[in-house]
Amino acid sequence: MGTTAGMTTKVWVLAFACSSSVVTAAPKAKPDKKAAIAQLTIALDGVDDEAAAKAADELGDSTDPAAHEALLDGLAFGLRVPVAVQALTALAKHPAPPDVSSLKRYATHHNPTVRGSALNALALYPDPIAHAAVVQGLHDPAGVVRTSAASAAAKAHVREAIEPLFALLARGEEPAARALAAMADADLVRKLGDQLGKVPDASLALCLGLVLRRPDFGPDAERVEVVRAIGKITDRSAVNALTDYIDATPKNPPRASRAEAEKMVEARLGGAK
Amino acid sequence: MIRALVLALVLAACGGPVFHLTSPDNDRSALTAALAHRNLPEQPAPLNASRTPRVFILAGGPTKQLIAYDLQRGAILWKQNADVQSRIWVGGNFIVEREHDQLVARDQQTGTVTWQTEIPGELVGATADADHAYVAYKENGSTWWLAGYDGASGKRLWKVDADGTLGAPMAHGGIVYVPYNQQWLSLVDGKTGAIAARIRGIDEGISMLRVTSKVAFYGSKQGVFRLDDRSASGKRAESSYAQVKVPPQLDKTTYGRDIYDPVQNAYTAIERARILYAAPAEGMQLDAYAVHYFRFVFGFDKTGALVWAYSNPRVELVASEDTGAAILAVSQTGNLVALDPANGAVRLDQNIVQAGSILGATFDADGWSPPAQGEKTETVAALVAIARDHDARFDRVKELAVQALAKLPGGEVTQELLGVLADTRAPQHLKDVVVDLLVARKDPASLSVLTAQLAAHDDFLLQTQPLALGPVAKAIAGLGGAKLDPAAVSAALVALQSHLDAPTTQVADLVFVIDAMAAIGGGKERPALGSHLLLYHADDDLGSDAAWGRAIVLALENHGGPGERELLRQVAADPRTKPDLVTIIRDALAND
Repeated sequence: MGTTAGMTTKVWVLAFACSSSVVTAAPKAKPDKKAAIAQLTIALDGVDDEAAAKAADELGDSTDPAAHEALLDGLAFGLRVPVAVQALTALAKHPAPPDVSSLKRYATHHNPTVRGSALNALALYPDPIAHAAVVQGLHDPAGVVRTSAASAAAKAHVREAIEPLFALLARGEEPAARALAAMADADLVRKLGDQLGKVPDASLALCLGLVLRRPDFGPDAERVEVVRAIGKITDRSAVNALTDYIDATPKNPPRASRAEAEKMVEARLGGAK
Repeated sequence: MIRALVLALVLAACGGPVFHLTSPDNDRSALTAALAHRNLPEQPAPLNASRTPRVFILAGGPTKQLIAYDLQRGAILWKQNADVQSRIWVGGNFIVEREHDQLVARDQQTGTVTWQTEIPGELVGATADADHAYVAYKENGSTWWLAGYDGASGKRLWKVDADGTLGAPMAHGGIVYVPYNQQWLSLVDGKTGAIAARIRGIDEGISMLRVTSKVAFYGSKQGVFRLDDRSASGKRAESSYAQVKVPPQLDKTTYGRDIYDPVQNAYTAIERARILYAAPAEGMQLDAYAVHYFRFVFGFDKTGALVWAYSNPRVELVASEDTGAAILAVSQTGNLVALDPANGAVRLDQNIVQAGSILGATFDADGWSPPAQGEKTETVAALVAIARDHDARFDRVKELAVQALAKLPGGEVTQELLGVLADTRAPQHLKDVVVDLLVARKDPASLSVLTAQLAAHDDFLLQTQPLALGPVAKAIAGLGGAKLDPAAVSAALVALQSHLDAPTTQVADLVFVIDAMAAIGGGKERPALGSHLLLYHADDDLGSDAAWGRAIVLALENHGGPGERELLRQVAADPRTKPDLVTIIRDALAND
């Protein structure tokens, strides 16, 4: 049975501590720093949610492994919703492999906000378990969680998420369009172009339009392909996407993709732009 | 015989109506003589002169049709258009029926009218034997008559009157059984109309009559007597008497038609809710019986346990008869169905009449059955078909079906019961029954089926929802203590934990999931349940839910070890833990 009880926390933190010492060679904590972490730990486990959330935030800022351990221990023992949200974000400020189990546990919490925070945090972990949790988040009944999962998938470039993102795109989910746009390479753009007629025009136009506006996407020949793919969309949203691209792109140096976009917009609007 | 005739003469000499309150009754020797006077076959056999098994069918439509079908040859004997307004009574070479105010006799070989006579009053009932037809009727609103007619010519041979209510008579080898005033059954000589004997029901009325070729039955809705020498006692305890157990879901069922209800002289829906039974060699100890209930036939053993079922597809069975060798039935669409009375195996299911809707039928097929050819008993399939039927009229029958199904072992049956839960059109009450049955079932072989049912989760992309999660978990919890396959337990625990951890599992279901994990886990469930408690002990929603709190605390306390109890103590000591949960933990640990 795959469980994530708190009993493994110390092992994780030990591993975190080891990795920190190798990578960052963190100095030993001074006694006053330890006392501060102890105070924050007490606050984290206290009944005052506001103070506990603040403590979680401060523990997350700390590079001291003890602070990280305190967060993991707090999460393992169970935190109230507002505190958990903060603690999950804080934990991911200094990601360590052992965090994944704890984050995954909260990624299925009954509270959607907590789930969303856990998924956002999991985006920072290049771990198959983390990726699987993100993909699972795309299936979540709560829209806010799917949004977080889509964002996490994009941030972590989770390839396994592409298929469910396409499924969400077909349902007109904007976060999926944004995630796919963020992840798209030339190959994915071609696949997106193939979705014409299978997904809502507006979603496809938004997605391809966002690809077009990505500064890291190119070379320009590929952008031309994107423009042409948008040109096949008959919905008004296609013109908007192209117009946004024209507006966001300087005339000089001239770009074939921009010129192509202008031609299409003129053709659509009959020169009325 | 002499004694009977003397009795008849004595009765006749009294003057006044032949049927009257003060006539002698329950005279054992008179009864014995009258019964001996019957001309009955050695072996069960059809009544008609050629001893050929037949069924006479009345079909509706713009023009009613009377159809005679030869069961032996499997062929229609004849069809006649006729505005028949009664059931069909079978004689030797003829049948009789009512058409408007006429009693009409038809040749049994051709269906042509051989004679007809005006019914002199309000028809109470009619019957026939080899050579005669008999009619009971009411005249002027207050006098009842029984008349005997020659079967060949229609000539009235005699008529006798009654000062009280007569019921529909039944003829049996030359004796006519005539119900009188709900309490008496007179045995009348068919040739003369003289009363040969009379039975008075002392502790049960007489409102039902049924006759096979060899045996007559009488009784009421309460039970059924075999007409024999012992009937002279008039009491159940000293008679050949049977009362069978009929499940409450089949509450409209009777042992036979009500002989005092003139409406039942025609084929009615009452024919479709009938207890079917064959005569034992002697006495009335029934080893088995069946119940025809509209579209269904259920077989029971002598203890009343349901042992087989038959579900007729789509349409009702309008007529049925236990011939002693088979249960025969005719459907609304003209199918002839023959079932093995022992196990419900379908020996025959064949369309024999292509006509309008079948209104009713009279079988003359005592002792007959189509040949058995090793047919398979399809009771599970029949019960499943009944349980899944969407006809709202039979919701209670569906209950009976699922109850019977639940008594059968095996994962396949569990699968079918779960199918009822998954059926969006199944009534909620039925689902509640199924849930209770699944819990009570405690069938270890079902664990893998129940686990498979847990595969569905609330999934936005797949558009799935958990299917009957609570009931399934409850059913798994019911397996606690049973000897289970360890691999099946592991798989079940994984599936249950997936719902324990699922974000959208409702609290009510979660409680059952926790119970199930604790019931079958054998300790393997403890880490997951401990983690679950920690995750939500301070949660405003779950942490404050008393049902959840009790479930998780008791699961860890009852099934856990020292480690789990220490965990509970720590949770109770946590100032963030919800107060109700703290109370539950302290109560649970009070005896530690």
